[in-house]
Amino acid sequence: MDLFHNTLQIEEESLSLSTLASMRSLIINPSTPQSTITSILQKLIRSLELSHDKVLLHYSLNLLTHLAIHHSSFSHFVFQSVCSHSLLSAQSTRLAVDSLQVLALITERVPDPGLNTDKLDDGFFVSLCFGPSVSARLWLLNNAGHFQLRPSLLFTVFLGFTNDPYPYVRKASLDGLVDLIHHGIFEDSSLVDVCYHRAVQLLGDMEDCVRSCAIRVVASWGLMLAASNADMKSYWSNEVFAKLCSMARDMSMEVRVEAFTALGKVEIVSEDFLLQTLSKRVLEVGKKKEVFGQNTTEQFKMLAASVAGALVHGLEDEFFQVRKSACLSLQRLAVLSTEFAHEALNILMDVLNDDSVVVRLQALKTMYYMAISGCLKVQEKHLHMFLGVLADNSREVRYSARKILKQVKLNSLLLFKSTIDGLLHSLSIYPQDEADVFPAVSHIGWNHKKFVAIVSKEVFEEVEAAFEGNSEFDSARVAALLILCISASLAHVNVGTIPPVLFSYAVTLLGRISSAFIDVMERDALLAYLSDKSRSIDCFASNINHGGGEKQLPLVQGDYSYCASNDVTSLVETSHKIDVEFEIQPQFVREPKDVLNSQVEQRPVHDEVIKFTDLTLSKVPDVWSLIQSGFTSEALKILRSWKEDLASMRSDFAGSADALAFTLQYLQIIKHLAKIWGNFPQEKLICSRATGALDFELAKLDRKVEEFRIRFIGFSPQEELNVLELMLVTCVLRLCEADICCRILTLKRLTATFSQVEHLLKESSVAPSTFIAELRKLLPEGVTSINEASQSPLEFGKCLKLFCLKHFIYSGTIRHVRAELSIVNNDFEHPLPFVSGLPVGIECDITLHNIASDHRLWLSMTMNDDGPSQYVFMDWKLLEGSGEERNFAFVAPFYGTPKASSFKLKVRIGLKCSFDDAVLGQTCEGPGLGLAFLCPDKEVYLSNVLKTKSHYHQ
Amino acid sequence: MAIECLVLGAGQEVGKSCVVVTINGKRIMFDCGMHMGYLDHRRYPDFSRISKLGDFDNALTCIIITHFHLDHVGALPYFTEVCGFHGPVYMTYPTKALAPLMLEDYRKVMVDRRGEEEQFTSDHIAECMKKVVAVDLRQTVHVDEDLQIRAYYAGHVIGAAMFYVKVGDAEMVYTGDYNMTPDRHLGAAQIDRLRLDLVITESTYATTIRDSRYSREREFLKAVHKCVSNGGKVLIPTFALGRAQELCILLDDYWERTNLKVPIYFSAGLTIQANMYYKMLISWTSQKIKDSYSTHNAFDFKHVHNFERSMINDPGPCVLFATPGMISGGFSLEVFKRWAPSEKNLVTLPGYCVAGTIGHKLMSGKPTKIDLDQDTQIDVRCQVHQLAFSPHTDSKGIMDLIKFLSPKHVILVHGEKPKMATLKEKIHSELGIQCYYPANNETVCIPSCHYVKAGASDIFIKRCQNPNFKFQKCSSSGAPGTSIQSCQNPDRSLTPRLQVKDERVAEGILVLEKSERAKVVHQEELLHRVGEKRHHIRFAYCCPVRVSDSTDISSKSDRDSCLQLLHSKLSCELSGGNIQNFGENLQMDSFHISVCPKDYCPYRIHETSHSETLAMYFCCFWEAIDEKLAWRILSAMENLDLREI
Repeated sequence: MDLFHNTLQIEEESLSLSTLASMRSLIINPSTPQSTITSILQKLIRSLELSHDKVLLHYSLNLLTHLAIHHSSFSHFVFQSVCSHSLLSAQSTRLAVDSLQVLALITERVPDPGLNTDKLDDGFFVSLCFGPSVSARLWLLNNAGHFQLRPSLLFTVFLGFTNDPYPYVRKASLDGLVDLIHHGIFEDSSLVDVCYHRAVQLLGDMEDCVRSCAIRVVASWGLMLAASNADMKSYWSNEVFAKLCSMARDMSMEVRVEAFTALGKVEIVSEDFLLQTLSKRVLEVGKKKEVFGQNTTEQFKMLAASVAGALVHGLEDEFFQVRKSACLSLQRLAVLSTEFAHEALNILMDVLNDDSVVVRLQALKTMYYMAISGCLKVQEKHLHMFLGVLADNSREVRYSARKILKQVKLNSLLLFKSTIDGLLHSLSIYPQDEADVFPAVSHIGWNHKKFVAIVSKEVFEEVEAAFEGNSEFDSARVAALLILCISASLAHVNVGTIPPVLFSYAVTLLGRISSAFIDVMERDALLAYLSDKSRSIDCFASNINHGGGEKQLPLVQGDYSYCASNDVTSLVETSHKIDVEFEIQPQFVREPKDVLNSQVEQRPVHDEVIKFTDLTLSKVPDVWSLIQSGFTSEALKILRSWKEDLASMRSDFAGSADALAFTLQYLQIIKHLAKIWGNFPQEKLICSRATGALDFELAKLDRKVEEFRIRFIGFSPQEELNVLELMLVTCVLRLCEADICCRILTLKRLTATFSQVEHLLKESSVAPSTFIAELRKLLPEGVTSINEASQSPLEFGKCLKLFCLKHFIYSGTIRHVRAELSIVNNDFEHPLPFVSGLPVGIECDITLHNIASDHRLWLSMTMNDDGPSQYVFMDWKLLEGSGEERNFAFVAPFYGTPKASSFKLKVRIGLKCSFDDAVLGQTCEGPGLGLAFLCPDKEVYLSNVLKTKSHYHQ
Repeated sequence: MAIECLVLGAGQEVGKSCVVVTINGKRIMFDCGMHMGYLDHRRYPDFSRISKLGDFDNALTCIIITHFHLDHVGALPYFTEVCGFHGPVYMTYPTKALAPLMLEDYRKVMVDRRGEEEQFTSDHIAECMKKVVAVDLRQTVHVDEDLQIRAYYAGHVIGAAMFYVKVGDAEMVYTGDYNMTPDRHLGAAQIDRLRLDLVITESTYATTIRDSRYSREREFLKAVHKCVSNGGKVLIPTFALGRAQELCILLDDYWERTNLKVPIYFSAGLTIQANMYYKMLISWTSQKIKDSYSTHNAFDFKHVHNFERSMINDPGPCVLFATPGMISGGFSLEVFKRWAPSEKNLVTLPGYCVAGTIGHKLMSGKPTKIDLDQDTQIDVRCQVHQLAFSPHTDSKGIMDLIKFLSPKHVILVHGEKPKMATLKEKIHSELGIQCYYPANNETVCIPSCHYVKAGASDIFIKRCQNPNFKFQKCSSSGAPGTSIQSCQNPDRSLTPRLQVKDERVAEGILVLEKSERAKVVHQEELLHRVGEKRHHIRFAYCCPVRVSDSTDISSKSDRDSCLQLLHSKLSCELSGGNIQNFGENLQMDSFHISVCPKDYCPYRIHETSHSETLAMYFCCFWEAIDEKLAWRILSAMENLDLREI
């Protein structure tokens, strides 16, 4: 140490590299005394001030970084000195950037609120960027995010440097542009336009790295351009899609991977473009172009060549990374069009022959997602490949294939038989798979009861032969066959076709079989069921009516649609209706929860939620057909259990929480609708019926639909139409009641809503549903006076019959408008003080989610449950916070403090429905009628100051 | 400067590829193939067109061979040994290894079997190979000072390459045969983005667009699997190199995945020898094989065994690869004779079979009996599966490659004339690239870039170091919000209104002086360098303005007062601007007005309009930038009347 001090003294004048090296070892040595560190620090700082040697300065700065990081007590000082000495008075850009690097590192590693890089203002940044040092420029562009710079400035700088002769600078500026998109919305669409086109030019850059970055910019900015351009959205989306497709044939693997990743991000593409990606030949245009009109056709002609076969090329690429990425983008795109999904499946089946396991797995995963989104249509020509996968020698591949089989709906007996054969064959090759094959068999049996009924005779013969010892006893195969039959019988298919003796055979294999039903019922329950079934041998013929025994069975929650209320005769009569029901049922089975599976795939929770909500939503039309055919109670049962299931799901992830709320609300509406529908005999009017209950129900429905419309934002035109159609139905339902009092008002609302529908239809050029078309006939244009609209309820009733619930696809853009309200420092034991007659301020802590800028929020305060209400308008836009979530404190004044020692206030946040005002022409002060409440009531306790004082005196 | 292309073979035909390119004084022969369809002089390219005297050593700089197929290398020993060329021959390592095998095999067939006159001997082949310089992928070879060549991966067959050639500033690529989609054992063609004057590309499938190879593979596997699972035997007649390995990898992989235990056999012979080469040439295969090479060599087939002749009649299912590919004789015919009568068995055929072979007969219709010769008749009951794998790129692949390379000119060779014409049109209309498809012995001349080396001044270089970009408004764009329907040219409407321009280039000026090298200087230096003063262009007009009759034009005081008067009038008239009065003259931006005392002013236009009234002349000067302003002022002055106050 002394030696070092000597060195310091000797080399007082200037530092040498070796001195710096020994300093470094002292700095990183934790046992170096503080005093030495201090002297080193001073020495270094002095050299910063005095030295002119660029190399030495570079190293000194480097050492200072080390010093600040290893000895955090000095970090503040180092930061300040570098700031004052080196940064601003630097002799070269390179050194200035070196110092910046030091500052950035220190702020990154040493969290100290006292450190800030205010020195780096916009002008300084730009001047450094424009310096001659390329590496400095590169560093600045790469690290621009560390400094607080105006986005508009960054945009200009980044955009400008996309023209730099150095490829890495171009790449860095493109990267910057991609990041910039997260920082704010660029309202000037011409800027977005420029940026997008610059990136499109760079798609032809000589350097691979620039091209792949350009793809990211094209995707992100292009989609933003599409989003900012409402009337040309589809045009721009197609344009971006085509540009990305054209990169699918790039020579660089990284670029291709990037291109396919970006393709998956496109959310709207016309079907022609999608189909074209699957064909290398340029397709003919003009099959069903009316939807998008002339524009798309012309655009398609122009761009088809670059789109042609993009996905096919991706799937047959030399590099598995590209093939995998192409599979993944296919998965995302498949939901956009059913026809595309069907076409894509043909190619995807061939990918199962890929030599890379990773790609095969991704292809299967894609198919699985297609299956759960209902667009997987397996055909006979696919069988060879698909069943081949069941015999694949990779365990993961086999597992994934079976996972699809659990979901898939086979539409012919041949398919069904071959699938079962394939499964049993794979079981014989890989006996170790039994634990997963059996549940797959049970799912298939469950999903295809009719087919099971057809094959049950053969199965019975084979099983019987095996048990009688007439043929070789292959226990796994027999068990699988038994599982097939039992699963079908669990779903209450006509049990007559399955001989009861099968159940008694099953009992002997209970241990193995029960594993297949592990997610449906417990082993004991299965045993009870089996023995019950096998006991019925005696009364086989008369066993058709199985009412009593069934109810003891601890059936799963999923088994909702058991038609307890219908006797067998009605079952037979309405068998076609029941089919619908059968189709719904199997999907309720929860995912198998065995350990084996969970190892293979662990999906994040929110994904599960979205999947489940999607599934539920997709089944809604089926429920509707139940409702229409008069199975109201069944439908209600199903809805209720869905709601229970949904309610039991928890989700922290914002997107899935929205999906959950959305689905719940939607189901609630359908529930009300179902109730009303059940009370509405379609043919005759209900004049005589006591309308009280119905009115009540209608009002509920009305409110729910209204709320639905308001509390969710981000509907696509099609979704918006669905919601509006629900509103129309509500109005029409009301009008069908002949003797309602508010007929005029309802008609007004009907016409107003209908005009919105018309407007939407015109804008989005979607074909109207039959219901809307029929309603249009009833409402001649320009109906303003009610006398004109003299349609009888009967006609509205006819119209109503045409209504059918559509499949509501939750697109992910829908957001739940909600709020959280808490009152600061208040509960029953700690009331707020007030002076009667004087206003009192109530401190609320409010968090708003997904509130759009045109929303008007009111705070409603109701005294003592049923007392008078007071509304306070909240101009939340003036308050800070931004984005989807805003949190702020708000002091709400309450004026009408009563002459009481204490009272209670109910505070809620309400969202104004602008709709009602327009229709009803209300001009009263305050929010008026239509307030949709965004949060549950919050109770505030207040207590009179005088009373409190006296309390204290005592 | 021009690049001159003499097509000696494969012009508007498939066969004997040979193109001689003269580029900046260097003469390179690409490929030296033979035509398999002819036995007369048409078999070889007409070499006399290179040099009438046969002095090939001086006429040619070098020969480049793209791959080992006979239609690309077949005439090489003849040309080097018989015609006499002693210059270097360039080809890739695998081509150098496999080409002599092919040549020797061909020579044997020709001489030993058909008894033809020998064109070249085994010694010729060996001697020829001594002249070969092997190159590696992406290795830049300096043939001489000016000529650089570089090989790029082409797919097609093992060792196939595209060649990039650069002489001075002229750059071109000769593709040879290539494949843009990978297959089971070879990757897709790979090349950099280059600045090319010319691309010479094959166009075998100039109009065909092929489906995904996946479906073909699936059909093949399905047929084979079905056959063997029913206990049948599968005969796969193939050529030794390429296809056999591809199918074998496919089957081996499938066997592995689906746990099939049925044996796969290779008949002894060239195929096994070829497998050995493949095992060594791993770096020339597809990415997948390269990736897995460290753990398992894909050409070490797990399920493949050698076939003994005695096994032909063994019972039970099996798969057999046998040569030759079209069942024209040899072992594959022997096996076919035994296996054809059983309907359980399967024969797969390649996509193309020469007329006269059994393969051809099987393909045309479904014969039940085939007459082998007068005495032998084969009873054909087996199933026949046709394989349509091709190692050539399809028309989309050609387009994709050309689009990626974006050369200035394209020449098509190795294709059929009508199809080439269609492709040429497509390249011209869709990519806007000049395209030619010369016939044999035709020459195409295309211009090439000529670069001038220029020095740069220090100031210019210094200025260039600092970036200097500007955003420029694009004038051609329509009004904002123009919808697409209304625009005639949608492309134009899509160009953004703002564009980024680099000013640095604009600030440079190229100076070319006699007997000196060209030099780029910064615009600020120019005047100093040329020794000239900066000139400003000024416009002048001597404008008459009516004045009162009492004014004495020659009196200075009157002139001054007129100027004052003019100033105040103009100030009123031109409300927007600020005209400054400097006593002697008036000024607004670059616009000067002063009273013209001369009787005859060169800027005066004599008109008769003011003849009855007295007019005073004011000389006006202005610069080009203020043209609009000048017109405003002048038109105001013309209408002024200084008589009124």
